[in-house]
Amino acid sequence: MSERNLPARFGGLLLILAISVLFSLAAGERWLNPFSAVDVMDQTILWELRWPRLLTAFTVGGLLALAGAWFQVMLGNALAEPYVLGVAGSAAVGAVVMLAVFPESNLGMSFGAFTGAAVGIGVVMFFARLGPGRLLLAGVVLAAFWSAVIALMLALLPQGKLGLALGWMLGDLSSSVVPVSLLLLLWALALACGMLLSRSLDRLLLGEAHAAALGVDIARLRWMLLFAASSATAVAVTAAGTIGFIGLVIPHAMRLVFGSLHRFMLPASAIGGGVLLMLADSGARSVIAPAELPVGVITAFIGVPVFLWLLWKKA
Amino acid sequence: MSAASPTIEARDLVLRRGERELIRGLNFHLQGGRITVILGPNGAGKSSLLLALSGMLDVTAGAVYLNEKPLAAYTRSDIADVLAWQGDVPPGEFGLTVDQRLQLAMCSGLNSDIDQEKRLAACAAQDLLPLCQRSLATLSSGERQRVELAALLVRDCPIWLLDEPCAHLDIRHQVAWLHSMRDKANGGMAIIAVLHDVQQAAAIADDVILVYGDGRVRSGPAADLLIPDILDDVLQTELRLMEDGVLIADYSGTKMPDL
Repeated sequence: MSERNLPARFGGLLLILAISVLFSLAAGERWLNPFSAVDVMDQTILWELRWPRLLTAFTVGGLLALAGAWFQVMLGNALAEPYVLGVAGSAAVGAVVMLAVFPESNLGMSFGAFTGAAVGIGVVMFFARLGPGRLLLAGVVLAAFWSAVIALMLALLPQGKLGLALGWMLGDLSSSVVPVSLLLLLWALALACGMLLSRSLDRLLLGEAHAAALGVDIARLRWMLLFAASSATAVAVTAAGTIGFIGLVIPHAMRLVFGSLHRFMLPASAIGGGVLLMLADSGARSVIAPAELPVGVITAFIGVPVFLWLLWKKA
Repeated sequence: MSAASPTIEARDLVLRRGERELIRGLNFHLQGGRITVILGPNGAGKSSLLLALSGMLDVTAGAVYLNEKPLAAYTRSDIADVLAWQGDVPPGEFGLTVDQRLQLAMCSGLNSDIDQEKRLAACAAQDLLPLCQRSLATLSSGERQRVELAALLVRDCPIWLLDEPCAHLDIRHQVAWLHSMRDKANGGMAIIAVLHDVQQAAAIADDVILVYGDGRVRSGPAADLLIPDILDDVLQTELRLMEDGVLIADYSGTKMPDL
């Protein structure tokens, strides 16, 4: 991927972002024109329901894309991402466990999600040592296991929390417990963190030995990536549950358009992931309105074909 | 390049991986201007030795000294300023281009005009100019190997550790690379290279390290070690001594016999 025309490409991405924001404001059970809504009711729907929800979708999507990009470099596998590796699942288990123990504590839930994500990554990294083929296999089996654990927890949880926990299985942006301003802050923080590490991440693309020979402290970088990817996954899961394939589709697409160097592809992924989840969520609440589809259904319908295509291309 | 001649040295180096002892008590001293060739059978521990010399593999006992200072006293990035390591070609999985791969090899993070000129010069030296913007995954093995050699050229390291630099190269580029190695050594660099071709080793080595694979190692001047009995023993095959004194692998008897 050449580096010419990069400003124009970023301009294009920002234009798509602006259009997506307008579309997400307009779409839903009732189509609204964000520029001409004067009705108090319409104003409320636009700015108190749809606007915070689209910001949640944007930040969660961006965090998932960043986490996916980090996992891919860290594990040297372009098919890795939080959902496929079972890390989103283990984060959800952690969150549900804390929800069962401390039903009123959102902080406890976030902490549980972080711990769950870190444990999930630890297990996956252990299997990554056995070879690239084992990695995805282990991830898929673990993901199935974590869903089973969540199903078990659901059966044991008191009825009142059941709906909330159910949402985690396929993603739900309607009932985020994380304040939007905090999500925006964490999104920016994650991106800044990725930019600081971008040169080391680039060198890790060459494999661990080459990166180390070029002066990268591999052990330190691994710990930082582990922490960053766990945090990003945990925040995304706490806010919106387990949403698959954003972390796969977006980094791949952004590498095609912006190249593999992280100082370009990470910001593009943080925005692109946000755009994709915003659009997916608009679809989720429009196609069978007034009912809503879980947003994970839409991302899976986009992501699974892309995953299979990449798998085909690799073989 | 630093004003003082670069040195790399091993003192009583012992290397064990798992249960196996690869290197038992290696001593050598290499300084700028000279080339050391490592010879030995597959799996004997030559690549492990290079990793240990570059600080990427912990030594079991003994020590490596870089410019008279123990390697353990350096940080990873300080080592990278002095030592350039060439190993297996990196994966093509993430779509890096040739030019980007070379950018990653450069020490400064800035993509200045000087850096760009350096990359162009390295590409030109390895006949890669038409491939500069191509993705690594689309290149042949030999072309990818040449990208790795170009990646060495863009770095300003006074010491090179090369793990089979001629792998996959066509004959023309193998010959050209041996000449570049000698030019670099004449310019003051210290070079260690793992090679498999005894003819190339004889052509270029000033000193030799022999790795037997059972813990035994020998090091010394090429003239003392590149002789038939010693090489037959370490390489486990009988070499043929040509009239001009050159040793080559013996392929006689592999042609279809005349009927």
